[in-house]
Amino acid sequence: MALGWAGLYGPMALGAIGSMIGCSLAGQAAAGALLETETGHGRYIGISAMPSSQSIYGIVVMFALSREITPENAPGLAGIGLLCGLALMFSAIYQGRSCASAINVSKIRPEIFGMSLAPAAIVEGFAVFAFIFALVISAGVPA
Amino acid sequence: MADYYTLVTCLPWLPEQMEKCSQLPLSRIALNRRLSLLDSHDHQGLAVAEALYHPNLANTQPDRERVLLWQKQIAELPSRVLQEVITQRLEIQTLLAALRYRRRPNTSAEHFYGYGRWTEWIRQHWKDPLFALETQIPLLERWGELFNQGHTGELQFEMDRYFWQQLLAVERSHHFSVETVVCFVLRWGIAERRLKSDADAALADFQLLSDTLLHNSGIQQQLNSLFEDINR
Repeated sequence: MALGWAGLYGPMALGAIGSMIGCSLAGQAAAGALLETETGHGRYIGISAMPSSQSIYGIVVMFALSREITPENAPGLAGIGLLCGLALMFSAIYQGRSCASAINVSKIRPEIFGMSLAPAAIVEGFAVFAFIFALVISAGVPA
Repeated sequence: MADYYTLVTCLPWLPEQMEKCSQLPLSRIALNRRLSLLDSHDHQGLAVAEALYHPNLANTQPDRERVLLWQKQIAELPSRVLQEVITQRLEIQTLLAALRYRRRPNTSAEHFYGYGRWTEWIRQHWKDPLFALETQIPLLERWGELFNQGHTGELQFEMDRYFWQQLLAVERSHHFSVETVVCFVLRWGIAERRLKSDADAALADFQLLSDTLLHNSGIQQQLNSLFEDINR
């Protein structure tokens, strides 16, 4: 039963932890870039918020899994919730690192700003996979 | 880990090729202000790395005490990668010191001291023109040639370019870490020294040129001819 509750709240909590770390890393890089550049400050701050999407995915998965917890559905909730939460957490952290690198290179060459965001977008894609398939699989968990 | 994100992104860009660095992107005061983001341990490590990498020209000849001090200081550096970078720098310095030492009269291999893995090898191959290290250091032949021809300025340039590329490679392979910061500062040090020496050379050239022009100027020539006429 405890695992069921952990699985229910896991996507939200782990996604939020990942977002905190990811936004913090990218935000620190953005703060440094503000000192070095004269323009384009808004976009650096904008990029640093990219890893926050994992928290939103976590909230949606949590609502999708939300049901009365019974001994029958607790293992399923735990499996989906915790694994999806871990995927969201790691994707947010690594997306934060990708964003920091994008900020670092685009401050030197602003014209590659869009291209430098590609790695962060790819990482986001994997978070979306984890999110979508968690929703799909959650339909099979007994109510 | 996270402490270096702000610092690395607030450091300016230094060109990939040393010869393209025609001016320093920021002053030492501005650099120090940014480096104040480092904690005291990293700050101390950076100071040691800078002192070892950019030694005072008067203190480049290794002796027993200095080698022991270097060993102690390198062991205190905050990362193994930095220890390797500094060690390689001191090994090259040892090699250059050996070439200089051998030129002096009444010297022998037994009395030569150096730092790093090649010291004993250098003693054993004291009679070889380049201590039989050409295969291990591909650029050594070129450096040896410049050294023998007495082109010290060009030799320094070639070596600086080698160190620059080495530091850049470490910077590229370590993102947002103490290695990135230290290697940047060491590259900044190379650029500063080169630009400073260029400025000194430019000033000396200007002085020479202005003296030449003043000595050969039309006014001077007219004055000289006037004095000659008066003396007649």
